[in-house]
Amino acid sequence: MHISLQWLREFVPFQGTVQELAERLTMQGLEVEAIIDPFEAIASIVVGHVLECADHPDSDHLHVCSVDVGGPEVLQIVCGAPNVAKGQKVPVALIGTTMPGGMQIKKGKLRGVASHGMICSERELGLSEDHEGIMVLPETFAPGKLLVDALGLEREVIEVSITPNRADCLSVLGIARETALGFGLPLTMPALNLKEDASAGDANTVVRIDIADGELCPVYRARALTGVKIAKSPDWMRYRLIAIGQRPISNIVDVTNYILMELGQPLHAFDNKLLKGGVIRVAPATPDQQDGQSITTLDGQERKLLASDLLIWDGERPVALAGVMGGANSSVSDETTEVLLECAIFRPGTIRKTARRLALPSEASYRFERGVDQVGSLFALERAAQLMAEVSGARVLTGIAMAEPKPWAERSHGFRIDRCNALLGLSLTPEFCKTTLTGLGCTVDDSNAANWRVTSPPHRLDLEREVDLFEECGRVHGLDRIPAVLPRISKSLDSVQMRDTEFGFLQRLKAWAVGAGLREAINYSFVGTDDLDRLNLPVEGRITIANPLSEDQNVLRTEIAPGLLNNVRHNLAQGNASLRLFEVAKAFVEDTTSDTGARENSRLGMLVHGARHSQEWPWEQGEADYLDVKGLVENLLAHLRLGPASFILEPAHPYLEPCVRVEVAAKSGVRLVGRMGRVQPKIADAYHARKDIWLADMDADLLRELSRATKPSFKSLPKFPPVRRDVTVICPATLHAEAIEAAVLEIKPKNLESLALVAVYAPEGPADGKGERNLTFRLTYRHADRTLVDKEVDKEHGKVLSGLPQKLPVRI
Amino acid sequence: MLKSFLEGLDGLTLECEARRGQACSLKDLEALRVEFLGRKGKLAAGMGALAQMGPEDKPAAGKKANEVKNALTALLESRQAELEAEAAQDALAGFDPSLPGRRPAAGSLHPVTLAMQEICEVLTGLGFEVVAGPEVENDWNNFEALNMPPDHPARDMQDTLYVSDTVLLRTHTSPLQVRTMLSRKPPVAVIAPGKVYRRDSDITHTPMFHQIEGLLVDKNVSMADLRGTLTAFVRQLFSADTKVRFRPSFFPFTEPSAEVDISCMLCGGEGHVAGEPCRVCKKTGWVEILGCGMVDPNVFRSVGYDPEAYTGFAFGLGVERVAMLKYGIGDLRMFFENDVRFLEQFS
Ligand SMILES: [Zn+2]
Repeated sequence: MHISLQWLREFVPFQGTVQELAERLTMQGLEVEAIIDPFEAIASIVVGHVLECADHPDSDHLHVCSVDVGGPEVLQIVCGAPNVAKGQKVPVALIGTTMPGGMQIKKGKLRGVASHGMICSERELGLSEDHEGIMVLPETFAPGKLLVDALGLEREVIEVSITPNRADCLSVLGIARETALGFGLPLTMPALNLKEDASAGDANTVVRIDIADGELCPVYRARALTGVKIAKSPDWMRYRLIAIGQRPISNIVDVTNYILMELGQPLHAFDNKLLKGGVIRVAPATPDQQDGQSITTLDGQERKLLASDLLIWDGERPVALAGVMGGANSSVSDETTEVLLECAIFRPGTIRKTARRLALPSEASYRFERGVDQVGSLFALERAAQLMAEVSGARVLTGIAMAEPKPWAERSHGFRIDRCNALLGLSLTPEFCKTTLTGLGCTVDDSNAANWRVTSPPHRLDLEREVDLFEECGRVHGLDRIPAVLPRISKSLDSVQMRDTEFGFLQRLKAWAVGAGLREAINYSFVGTDDLDRLNLPVEGRITIANPLSEDQNVLRTEIAPGLLNNVRHNLAQGNASLRLFEVAKAFVEDTTSDTGARENSRLGMLVHGARHSQEWPWEQGEADYLDVKGLVENLLAHLRLGPASFILEPAHPYLEPCVRVEVAAKSGVRLVGRMGRVQPKIADAYHARKDIWLADMDADLLRELSRATKPSFKSLPKFPPVRRDVTVICPATLHAEAIEAAVLEIKPKNLESLALVAVYAPEGPADGKGERNLTFRLTYRHADRTLVDKEVDKEHGKVLSGLPQKLPVRI
Repeated sequence: MLKSFLEGLDGLTLECEARRGQACSLKDLEALRVEFLGRKGKLAAGMGALAQMGPEDKPAAGKKANEVKNALTALLESRQAELEAEAAQDALAGFDPSLPGRRPAAGSLHPVTLAMQEICEVLTGLGFEVVAGPEVENDWNNFEALNMPPDHPARDMQDTLYVSDTVLLRTHTSPLQVRTMLSRKPPVAVIAPGKVYRRDSDITHTPMFHQIEGLLVDKNVSMADLRGTLTAFVRQLFSADTKVRFRPSFFPFTEPSAEVDISCMLCGGEGHVAGEPCRVCKKTGWVEILGCGMVDPNVFRSVGYDPEAYTGFAFGLGVERVAMLKYGIGDLRMFFENDVRFLEQFS
């Protein structure tokens, strides 16, 4: 909302600076976002006096002018306007001026004649669309004076951000009320001087108002004007509208805008000759099942209507979309001579629904949605009719055609000053509160000192409850003057939580991941359908966004992978080739049993790609592979005290190959805590990855559940020394290490404490499934109560050596 | 005979003393030891004469032989110590402390997480407990229960991403106020950190960002308590001299409502840094950091709390905003690109 200070001062005698005003309004809850000089772009234009005006020797339309701009030298300016003439006062842009359109005025020659500036048209100055000729100024203007000063243009406009509750401040009047309140100044309404012309007839004989439902339209008033002459508005009105960013159109339309900005009351002017049947009816649209219903609004667009849209009808047809936009069939045009001026109040929710559905936000609908002062609307109508008569030469018919099925009902609330002070943490006096509330326009009955009766004014629709009055007292006193006190936070025993809350556990996972050398990524929860399709993820169960910002943000992630893979693409494009990333975030899947229709599952995603170590030296170089991602998973499970885990090759997976299921044995049975594997090369290609992408996707919620059920448990340290024996098994490459370990355990050698793989050697290069490889296992034997002797270990170990080839296709 | 025996032994000592300097390695020195002190060495050879001596000479000769043996041993040992010291010196000369270490991979938290953890730490220290909840929400929890009925203009303040007519991506963490109050009786002191979503994307808005919501409900909670809590909070989060300013504002779920500004941490509230306008606060000296207010009685009614018996305050702040202020990050969009050159700055 832009507010002109000149305009404001017509309502309140504020003499301070614009900065003081901005500061005060901001601290009263009306945030001033900017202080603007609306005519800054033409601030350096000066008044010039055309001393001589001769025809250009080489042109049939250019003139060579001698212009006095107040300086010691008279400027020679070449001007092409047909209306330039000797003796005129004109606006001059001097050399070096930048015009509103961005053009720079330079010294130049036009057909051989030097020109030292430019005489400007109104359009060039942004003052109107007029570019028939140069702007001719009043003779009284002194040469050399700045144009903005000579014309008395507004130089100070504040941009105020109005919160949705303060509909009353969407006008000069509203800001003036707050200014008066803030500085203790009187508020003066403009004098009303409307002259009705009995010879023109009475509005009530021209039109009858008929309102179908007082809830939708509590009041509708109309004045009729005759003898209207559509023309440009007077300069003062146009300049004022321009100063606050409104485009002047014509006198009648400009008056409706002027009143809207000044008093906050939206108005509509119909061409009364185009209205039929002598009646204005306010009623909802009546689309029939088959053909529907539509109205062409004055912007020329055809709008389909619903039964929830409120319309203004004449005797035959809809003529306006109530409170939103007028109809093309009855709008004011250059030929208009008769005007019917509408001033009404509509139900906020109805207007909002229509304006939003049709994407037709307007200054009018914006105010109706938030609520307009029903009592004040009469003044707005009268002032508008008066201004229209003044600027268009119209005569105003006597009387107001009106219907008011739901007159304004006063609203009063209790006000307990003790409670006010308790809530605000202040000690406001009854005198202060009473002055404040009265200053806001409330009437206060304090006959009961503990519980007043406060009646709120009709322009403050937001003062609906006692607490709203508390806020007003706090706001006017200054919320910033409330002292700071630390509360004593009391808790009930019920609120004491287990450790590892959802939030706490996820933070613990993050801390682990950082320790494991991974960097945290955070991605949007939504991706594009394409991102999920690319990974061959199922279509069922996806949660799509009904009104996405774009196609690449139209579905919630069903898995953690899509975001991390997009990070691979971004980083590779930036030349970051070695990646170790993790993300903790939710995956979303449809679930009809949930009250939101969604099942949200926190996941821990881990991704490694490219060189294993960021250093070329001294680590041995290598590319991240399965053992890297598996190592992370094993480390995580150990960190959470989970296990033993099994790693099971999954025959098929939408985007991983190989894909390994990570299962953990728990009290509740064997649980699938995640999957890991290599992103299929074809899919990795789509992310421009030339090296393998290894990824693990772990169920963080399940990890939390399982981890909470475990605790560290102590075992005594061994007292006697171990005996170690290695065994090297030559086996087909297709035989998994796990199978050999299982076979050893099946043999049940006595006193075997542990078994570990210590070396893998594949003589024919990497295992391709055809060759053989050597696996060396170290078996540790130990007795709890005595030192083992070699002989008994040899006996047990011998069982392993002889037993393995019997159980498996292996040699020792 | 005794005399020549004694002279011979003295000669051994002199010879050893002269030659030990030529032993340049432990190996040379060992050879020298064998030459003088070995079983077939020079001392042993000299000792051969001892057997032919008369009993009157034997004690003196024996004593001398022992002395010489000790002297030789001492000479060789001192040389050994010298050589060992030299070797240690040589070994150190080849030691290069400037070589790069074998560094384990470095991990790092995202700056949003860093800021979030810090905020949560401060607030839990003040006595709040952390709660979590769903990101896909019902319209009722996100809007209606928070005093934003359908077709209320306040809904314009938050452009919403919808899943269906009644289900949406939460636009703020405030639905957790509702969920918490529905599930327990007062007193309540919770904070709710999490992701929130808006249908808004430009240079200063991302469609997803992070918020932390705080809620305190008890008997006799006042706006002074709110101011105290937030003052303590921003002082711990930024610095001990941070000033707090309350500006009246509007949120549908609080009444009265306030925007909270803090004194600019870059220019210290001056509005200028070394004569230049401050880029953080745009010359105002204040930085808007959070919104807050006293819980609206309508919110209490919708969760079944008695607004006559209880009062409370609520506040919410954007985590990205805090991270930008604290770490000097200029561009909001960098948060979600996850460029490792960005991420590694927050190790
Ligand atoms: Zn600053």
